Amino acid sequence: MTAPAATRAPNGATDAASASPITMAQALNRVLAEALASDPKVVLVGEDIGHAGGVFRVTDGLLARFGAARVLDTPLAESAIIGAAFGMALTGLRPIAEIQFMGFLYKAIGQLAAQAAQVRARTWGQVNAPLVVRCPYGGGVRTPEHHADSLEVLLAHSPGLKVVCPSTPADAAGLLRSAINDPDPVVVMEPIRLYRAGRELVADDAPPVPIGSARVRRTGSDVTVIAWGAMVPVALAGAETAAAMGIDAEVIDLRTLAPLDAETTGASLEKTGRLVVVHEAPLTGGLGGDVVADLVERCFWALRAPPRRVTGCDVVYPPQLLEDIYLPDAPRVAQAIRAVMED
Amino acid sequence: MAVVTMSQALNMALHEEMARDERVFLIGEDIKDSTYGITKGLWDTYGHKRVIGTPISEAAIAGAVLGAASVGLRPVAEFMYMTFMMCAMDQVVNQAAKSKYMFGGKAVLPIVYRTMAGAGRANAAQHTQSLEAWFAHVPGLKIVMPTTPYDAKGLLKTSIRDDNPVIFIENKVQYATTRGEVPSTDYTIPFGQAAIRRAGTDVTIVALQRMNEIALEAADELAEIGIEAEVIDPRTIVPLDLDSIVKSVRKTHRVVIVHEAHERVGFGAELVAQIVQHAFDYLDAPPIRVANPNVPTPFNRTLEELSIPSAAQVVQAVRGLMR
Repeated sequence: MTAPAATRAPNGATDAASASPITMAQALNRVLAEALASDPKVVLVGEDIGHAGGVFRVTDGLLARFGAARVLDTPLAESAIIGAAFGMALTGLRPIAEIQFMGFLYKAIGQLAAQAAQVRARTWGQVNAPLVVRCPYGGGVRTPEHHADSLEVLLAHSPGLKVVCPSTPADAAGLLRSAINDPDPVVVMEPIRLYRAGRELVADDAPPVPIGSARVRRTGSDVTVIAWGAMVPVALAGAETAAAMGIDAEVIDLRTLAPLDAETTGASLEKTGRLVVVHEAPLTGGLGGDVVADLVERCFWALRAPPRRVTGCDVVYPPQLLEDIYLPDAPRVAQAIRAVMED
Repeated sequence: MAVVTMSQALNMALHEEMARDERVFLIGEDIKDSTYGITKGLWDTYGHKRVIGTPISEAAIAGAVLGAASVGLRPVAEFMYMTFMMCAMDQVVNQAAKSKYMFGGKAVLPIVYRTMAGAGRANAAQHTQSLEAWFAHVPGLKIVMPTTPYDAKGLLKTSIRDDNPVIFIENKVQYATTRGEVPSTDYTIPFGQAAIRRAGTDVTIVALQRMNEIALEAADELAEIGIEAEVIDPRTIVPLDLDSIVKSVRKTHRVVIVHEAHERVGFGAELVAQIVQHAFDYLDAPPIRVANPNVPTPFNRTLEELSIPSAAQVVQAVRGLMR
């Protein structure tokens, strides 16, 4: 197939612009363009990703540059998107599907968790599905119902799925690269509120960020704070507030939710003896429970206080005017850091 | 009191509730002939208007009961095998679970979603999954996991009479093999009350559903070497009787959680986090989870057995904590 030439620079992410700081949306766009250019087997599938360029502009310009055979606009049917992408992955393509908002992943969770995730195990390793599912997720941008959910629990509880969740433009690029290179299904959870929250330099030749590697974003000695996605800046802000109270918090960005980087989290807790986990999803049955259970099991004798979780509330994600109360913020994180020091 | 199987106890509850309340109806795949006998005889008694067989389409079943409940009926839907509830997640979560909240308390949706979990019959990866952790994470759903025929009947009645969506999980390995005394009288069991299956002083074992049978077997073995285990069956995980669990752990100072679901992000993780929060100073050893080792259930019998928690594993976990 012949790819039409670019009619305009997608998100400004051209070679000339690569020396400038870019947003997470631009970083993802650049990696998708690279993948489409370098591997004819890469295909994008999703709602509004072509003509509209994606509701968050992540696929902006890609249809014009690579054509309708590589960038497929679909009907509003998430089960069809994942079903089709899974079939493509089984037959030699490298599909990258987009589920426009994670709350609608429920429609496709059977295809993803029961079919794609399990196919390697069910065929004794004879069949693999190199499938990437990009999911804008989370709250904080005043979306209506079903558009702010964080469903990492469904994915991390499903054997066969890898789940990554960046919090910076460079990590988004590096993790998406790893996801595309992976031979098995990988879900990329993209925090909606961080798509344009900041800019940083992202080198064109930056290496992939290995799946399963957390990143220490702030070094500290008193308490370990673990967060991911949009909660990382919140955790960092909470740590700064705590620093003003004389508490030195270490902040870890998990970056990969499945598999967990047990080494980085364990080493930090062995050092600090105190743990706070922050996430947007509701408390009960949240991934925070698993992070706590894993660390308590492995680092029990280092623990000096019971771990605390700062999370969304155990209610349906609320309408716009209530979401600031629902979502963890820096004061709540700082309060938990202080409380875990006093326990 | 008659001794009946798990499937007979569930069948009794359905018969009695359908006779008691004409708004109660059943819907699901193959329920006229009833693969496991749960809905046996109900079509003969109540006819096709109240026992509705459907095509193989979980989304359609979940959509139909949502509509029926919203206009005043009290549907009991059957989802043969819990993995296939994945195909109905949008209807169950985005619609049923969220509606009461989204409509300011005005939407009343008395739906029971009966489904079957559990491995041990060589049914492979998609007919064995225990997905209670998915549903326990969804605000607006109650999660019921009966272990004995007596509890199954009483809890199913409570579920049908509840005005909210209830996920009622049955363990299919128990249907024919787990027996117990069940009265033919009308009784209900309240949600949020754990059962102490065995009293003990040295270690607490919290087990979900059929794993209580495994835990009791382990407790007998442990008793032979002088370790007295207390076995707790939460019976409902949402709402959770955390008080009974915390009280036990404060007494024994040690806890092992046993469930069939995958260990990662299983409900055991939530239990550990809650126990550590509420009994930290009482713990003499780290809480340990014994669960599926994060693999899809293998079809091969030998491998399948290795993927399900065993009494030997529980004994080993407890002995590790006692050192």
